[in-house]
Amino acid sequence: MRAFAERDGAAVAALDEEERLVIARIVADVGLLLGAESFGSEPHSTLPHREDLAESLRFLDGVEDDPVEPEDPALLRLLPNAAPRDREVADEFRRLTQEDLRATKIARLRRLWDDLSAEATEWVVPTEQVMPMAAALTDVRLVVASRLALASDEDAEALHAEIARAAEAAEQGTEAEPPVDPERLWLGMLYDALTWLQESLVSVRLGGTA
Amino acid sequence: MGTQERLDPQAGVGTRVREPWVTVVWNDPVNLMSYVTRVFQEYFGLARHEAEARMREVHEKGRSVLSSGSREQMEIHVQAMHGYGLWATLERSDG
Repeated sequence: MRAFAERDGAAVAALDEEERLVIARIVADVGLLLGAESFGSEPHSTLPHREDLAESLRFLDGVEDDPVEPEDPALLRLLPNAAPRDREVADEFRRLTQEDLRATKIARLRRLWDDLSAEATEWVVPTEQVMPMAAALTDVRLVVASRLALASDEDAEALHAEIARAAEAAEQGTEAEPPVDPERLWLGMLYDALTWLQESLVSVRLGGTA
Repeated sequence: MGTQERLDPQAGVGTRVREPWVTVVWNDPVNLMSYVTRVFQEYFGLARHEAEARMREVHEKGRSVLSSGSREQMEIHVQAMHGYGLWATLERSDG
């Protein structure tokens, strides 16, 4: 994986086939979480809570009625409460905005998925797509962070310490002590990779946007 | 991005009416400082140093008030922030 850098007025990164596949799958999962049709022909899943998906999507059954606050904390992070101390304001906001927000996020995720599913090592993001793409990466990171229970800056630091501990143990051919849950480790490393990609994308200054 | 004129249509008129609602952006462990700065620049039309100052306020104090105005205006701003993946709320400015 090569981070984004400026080239000919575009942001260009390089991902090998496996990296693109892994990220495309989680992008598709976030799309499903938001109630999108499957991206591509066959749905894949990398999220550990796939069995909860039907439950998460149940709020869509009442889409004709006023939308209710999602119970899945990851989905709630994508469609947050706009007024936690004022139920009437929060409900009104959700009624007015939720469908638009879902549509915006799904469209961006689909574009991200399309980019990652192209048969090319290089990933070229034109200037006008930098912020929409960064926003799509944010949505994916929000969902992964929710699955990792990252609620505070301290939680994020603790995760990094865990990953470092596991990496060090792997390097020495030993087991991390105390052991690190492999699923958490895998999601944590994916989260770090997405963070690193997004940071490089946002840092690219194109056409004097500084 | 044409958003600045929505930010404060009262500005420059000379009469400041009391702005009853505010848009608050909250700290979270996911959003990158560089990204939040660019969102504030792009959406609120802030100069880079001003956007960075607001971002630092969010990061260090946990929240920052980015705009004030009518409830309808604040709903537009909060929706935009949610669109970017930032956690924003609206509340009455008197608390």
